[in-house]
Amino acid sequence: MKSYDCIVIGGGVNGLTTSAILGKAGKKVVLFEKREMVGGLASTEEFAPGFRCNTVLDSVPWFNGSVIADLELENHGLRFEGANITVTTLESVGKELSISSDMDGTRRSIAQFSERDAERWPPFCNKISMLTDFLAPLYKITPPPIPDLDLSAFFSMKPILKPVRKHGREGVVELLRILPMTMIELLDEWFESEPLRGTLASAGIRHLNQGPMAVGTAFNFLHHHVGSGSVCPVQFVSGGTGMLADSLRSAAENAGVEIRTEAEVSSIILENGDASGIALTEGEQLTSTTVVSSLTPHSTFQLVGQQNLAPRFNRRLANIKYRGATARLHLGLKSLPRFTSLDENALKSMVSLSPSLSYLEKASDAAKYGQVSEKPCIEFTIPSLREESFAAAGKHVLSATIQYIPYHSRGSDSITLRQELRNNAITQLENHAPGISNIIEEEYLLTPTDLESKFALTEGNINHGEMMLDQFFFMRPTIDTAQYSTPIENLFLCGPGTHPGGGLHGTSSFNVAMKILKEK
Amino acid sequence: MSMNRKYDAIVIGGGHNGLTAAAYLARGGKKVLVLERRHVLGGAAVTEEIFPGFKFTVCSYVVSLLKPNIIRDLQLPRFGLELIPLESTFTPLEGDYLIRWADHDLTRRELYRHSPRDAEAYDRFGKTMSQIGMAVRPILNTIAPDPTKLGLSGTRSLMQLGRHFRSIGSDKFEQLTKLMTMSSADFLDEWFEFEPLKATMSASGIIGTFMGPRSPGSAYVMLHHYMGNIDGVFRAWGFQRGGTGAVSMAIARSAEHFGAEIMTEADVRKIIVGNGRATGVALENGDEFQADVVVSGLDPKRTFLNLVDASDLPDDFVQSVKNFRIRGSSGKVNLALDGLPDFTSLPGDGPHLGGAISISPDYDYIERAYDDAKHGSFSKRPYIDIVIPSVLDPDMAPPGKHVMSCFVQYAPYSITGGWDDGKREAFGDAVVNVLAQFAPNMKDIILHRQVLTPWDIEKKFGLTEGNIFHGELSLQQLFFLRPVVKWADYRTPVRKLYQCGSGTHPGGGITGAPGEMAAKKILKEWR
Amino acid sequence: MSISVQTQFTGATSLKVTPFHERTSVLNQSQEWRRWSGYLSATAYDLTHDIEYYSIRTKAALLDITPLHKYIIEGPDAEHFLDRLVTRNIRLCKVHQVMYTPWCDEDGKQIDDGTIQRLEENRFRLTSAEPNMEWLTQNSAGLEVDIFEDSTATASLALQGPNSRAILNSVADENIDSLKFFWLTDLRIGDIPVVISRTGYTGDLGYELWTSQDNALPLWDRLTEAGAQFGITHTGLHALDMARIEAALILLDVDYISAQHAAIDLRKSSPYELGLGWTVKLNKNNFIGKKALEEEHRNGPEWQLKGIEIEWEPLETLYRKVDLPPQLPGMAWRTSTPLYSGNEQAGYATSGCWSPILKKYIALAHLKTKYAREGTPVQFEVKVEHFRKTTPARVVKTPFYNPERKRSCP
Repeated sequence: MKSYDCIVIGGGVNGLTTSAILGKAGKKVVLFEKREMVGGLASTEEFAPGFRCNTVLDSVPWFNGSVIADLELENHGLRFEGANITVTTLESVGKELSISSDMDGTRRSIAQFSERDAERWPPFCNKISMLTDFLAPLYKITPPPIPDLDLSAFFSMKPILKPVRKHGREGVVELLRILPMTMIELLDEWFESEPLRGTLASAGIRHLNQGPMAVGTAFNFLHHHVGSGSVCPVQFVSGGTGMLADSLRSAAENAGVEIRTEAEVSSIILENGDASGIALTEGEQLTSTTVVSSLTPHSTFQLVGQQNLAPRFNRRLANIKYRGATARLHLGLKSLPRFTSLDENALKSMVSLSPSLSYLEKASDAAKYGQVSEKPCIEFTIPSLREESFAAAGKHVLSATIQYIPYHSRGSDSITLRQELRNNAITQLENHAPGISNIIEEEYLLTPTDLESKFALTEGNINHGEMMLDQFFFMRPTIDTAQYSTPIENLFLCGPGTHPGGGLHGTSSFNVAMKILKEK
Repeated sequence: MSMNRKYDAIVIGGGHNGLTAAAYLARGGKKVLVLERRHVLGGAAVTEEIFPGFKFTVCSYVVSLLKPNIIRDLQLPRFGLELIPLESTFTPLEGDYLIRWADHDLTRRELYRHSPRDAEAYDRFGKTMSQIGMAVRPILNTIAPDPTKLGLSGTRSLMQLGRHFRSIGSDKFEQLTKLMTMSSADFLDEWFEFEPLKATMSASGIIGTFMGPRSPGSAYVMLHHYMGNIDGVFRAWGFQRGGTGAVSMAIARSAEHFGAEIMTEADVRKIIVGNGRATGVALENGDEFQADVVVSGLDPKRTFLNLVDASDLPDDFVQSVKNFRIRGSSGKVNLALDGLPDFTSLPGDGPHLGGAISISPDYDYIERAYDDAKHGSFSKRPYIDIVIPSVLDPDMAPPGKHVMSCFVQYAPYSITGGWDDGKREAFGDAVVNVLAQFAPNMKDIILHRQVLTPWDIEKKFGLTEGNIFHGELSLQQLFFLRPVVKWADYRTPVRKLYQCGSGTHPGGGITGAPGEMAAKKILKEWR
Repeated sequence: MSISVQTQFTGATSLKVTPFHERTSVLNQSQEWRRWSGYLSATAYDLTHDIEYYSIRTKAALLDITPLHKYIIEGPDAEHFLDRLVTRNIRLCKVHQVMYTPWCDEDGKQIDDGTIQRLEENRFRLTSAEPNMEWLTQNSAGLEVDIFEDSTATASLALQGPNSRAILNSVADENIDSLKFFWLTDLRIGDIPVVISRTGYTGDLGYELWTSQDNALPLWDRLTEAGAQFGITHTGLHALDMARIEAALILLDVDYISAQHAAIDLRKSSPYELGLGWTVKLNKNNFIGKKALEEEHRNGPEWQLKGIEIEWEPLETLYRKVDLPPQLPGMAWRTSTPLYSGNEQAGYATSGCWSPILKKYIALAHLKTKYAREGTPVQFEVKVEHFRKTTPARVVKTPFYNPERKRSCP
């Protein structure tokens, strides 16, 4: 039987990051990926002949700087494009709101709707950056075991005190006040114009099953801003999101990591209750003293077998909330769609269909009853305007993220819901780009169910668990696994199901690798 | 006017918290005057004979949270506090029903009928909630520190809390964290499977709030209601004999016994401030009273935006008070009945009428009611929490007749177009229609109907937006954040002006806790 | 039975009644009942319980034990499931064998105890004091096993006492002489199919009978009729409580609190602490609580449940001082009673009784390990005419009463 220092399950950004760092530290590491390519949620794929897309995520607003530096990812081809990218919100034809890191431009755009809001924009941005200042160091540490803090755990939290020196205790209190807010409550304190409120709130509800009136959406909003430095941050990877995975893969291979694709792990082997290796679907078995899984907690422990877990942990595991409600729709288009009021620059940035808070809230109402939104919240971009390789000359790809289509549907079957969502989304796009449906050549729709089967995403939640306050920090994914170790000795979690959660940032996997290097 | 125009303390508002504060201050030897705008005492906890022979606890209707130490300290039983426990919680369903009884075996058997698993989980749930209630109690009894300026005692009390949480262990801490952050529906889903049980339990997470059972944050409100305490039994709700107003009357008599003066129909126009210090109050009729200390039992918006000149308050404080969330979401329908309702699913007279009756068949039902409100109208098919006090207390209605009190959600304060008589009656009709769906004889037995919209409640009781809690019980409005950070210890930016209403820590419900703790703080700081 | 006036008791109850209620409600002379798992259960049928107690030890006692919780567990993984659930090695349990076992939570603290009957290769019946459905289903995740509640569908009776075998032989279609202790058999009584297990809660020769609730009354009648000549006596819980203390069989909620329901950790007990160390098989496959129990086994338990015997002479002397003969508890008590060693509290007794057959005052007690050795003297707190006194007792071997016939076959 082959033996390794470390076996990593899952070849997404986190699996690659952990294996590359461990490999670089001299460990003998093997990584298994079920699909024919690595990348996971950071994949760029051909979805139809001649059309490529960033399958799940277009924007990578923040990637952990320590990982980039440690693995010298720039030498492996990683480049980000962050300048001059706008988020344009379509309210009604002829009235668009554009938000970007350009403060004056953004203020002018807001002023079309409200002078008062335009004035409040800079202090708002300062407030958000102050709040994310507090979160940033928190995101980089391994959560301490709360409430049983010992002295060393207490000191491990020292980095989070740094912003207190900068912003004072008032800042902490303000953070505590704002984290549990609803998006509406937060925005009521600042803005009156609906397109602005809608755009900001769309970050608060991103990938959630809840609407902007839900407690904790302010937290989710901040989550999407940590590390980025501006409000509504968008950042693309040159060459497509898949290039992020490719650079990590190259760094990993360079560090001696053995990467095996089309190799699905069927179980984690236990010896006296401790992880001792893995078995592949085709029967091969490998041993290792360390097994790291980048899968969701649910998928990971399926590999262990519920009957091998203690009752309390089984209960905790079953109580993790996933509830994916986001779909991805990729359209292969004959030509560039004509949006009544958007120029090419806007189209290659991010466009948001979230004209008001009540629009978003109504969209989320449907999800409560297991239905799809009649008027969904949509965020799209046309990546082929940035990347020539995405479509043949003259042709284009439109990639949209659509909410809500709940994983747990009720009443209708999934095929009907799927169709409904597709039609509802196209109808919304038609409003702003009349005739777009006539130029569709290819369509590729990924509902939460599809995401689940394709990427082993439990319930299709791309964050590996809802980003809500009850699943944050020392509670993520459960109170006894928040330190990345699990009740199964030698088995670690490194996916976004662990602290600090969703997004392509490589932080949890970096933390895990450091922990393993320290302990083993 | 009388010579006694100079008092040690003036309490504005004769609700249960104002009266409690007054009683404690008087008991501490202070000369106290309570000023109540209305002709009756009790604020939201008042009983009135609206129709001849029929007595209604107009606004709040059940008592469970009144702190036992207040009952002891103020000798309330001596002054007329008599609590009759509710016997059951009855949830009528289409073709079936769910009842929870005071008796453990009966409840288990009833739950078993619907779900054996839930019958077992119910015990463990009760145990867990009471343990968490115990874990939280020290916080409720702590005067909120100012975390931005920790003095010696503030640091000490924070450290004590830290030690306390370490001692409760990770299992309970996990549950507590979940209760603080989750929706009541999600929290209950972790325990139970029978939807009507979950929906009915989740309802205590929405009462008095503008949230649905699936709104994160509602689990905390559920916990808040779980801390109800009669005879040391958790979640034991009861009626006051003679109506909830008698609770206030008992506190008032106790206050008077300790020497406080109580004046009704005394509408305070403003709090007189000189050199940044409260010196007295002025009434609408022009009378003025001087006092060393002024205590307001009103909600923060009324106190600081109506009674104090903005120029006497720091700007950021005023802004924070404006940001303080008070959202009215509930209405009240009081019915005088010719007989008892006859429920299709459990016909006839019986002990199920001697408890709470909850119209909460499933989560979706309540969520849809919430959706209506959220988008600007009253619930077409509302959640209703019903009690028929006359079943347990015959004095409340003429012989053979009954009073039914319906607490209804949702009736949003900010209804599109505003409330008017037409909407009020339509809202009343919606309630009666839902009742009639479960008890078809309802329409025939109604003798009189009183409908109170949030506007009515605001006007009548001076509750901003008609919110019974003086402010949402949301995480960012609790403990040292209630009502405003740095001013969560009953003090205010105006020296010698204190607050003691439900808008302060530990929040709403007929607990008396804010009144008690404010009075204790005032007495401690007295110079 | 004494002189009785023909009368009909009527009454309403919201509690559950067993399928034997039509008989038991008429027989219950004092109409005194106790709650048992939400059922009405007779405390004694006669006006005093002495006769019933003696019938357990000298004749045959018939008890309605239907309120016991019963679960049927079946499926290909049934054995695996139970083996993971309980501390004993279920893989060793043969078809028609019965095992007594506790089960624990993952901290090794006891949740409940009961018997497991292996009815078929892949079909078991589990009995328990408390409802356990939630715990069972929760821990069956990932296993191919079905769990059914069998509490009301199956009526159960206990027939206990030296004459019980003779009674069953007189009514059953098969002789049960060869049925060994903690084994079961399928047979018929008249045309009623019955499972008979040689088990009980009295520590005497005895059997438990399991049948469909529809057959409850005919079975009761048949046993009553055939048992008459063997002195069969309808027996209630008071007598049973004394017999089980003599046999040193622990009772949930009296001698220990289920780990599922204990409000605080201090109230929880492990099998080692309850004298059930013999049921914990650390060499078998992983089971719930194993890690914690291994550790406890290494370090030794902090507490131990033991029998104590209160010495007669000093007790008599205490009472003589107030001119009274010793006042002995007529029935079993279950109030926690402190035990001292010098100035230190050595433990506490949880239930006790005067054993009429042994003529000894006995009790079950939790003792700190250093006081738990056999023969250790302790002081037992007793109230003599309203005043607290202590009187000497000592730790003794249990069961207090253990007749040869309990296990033997003719």
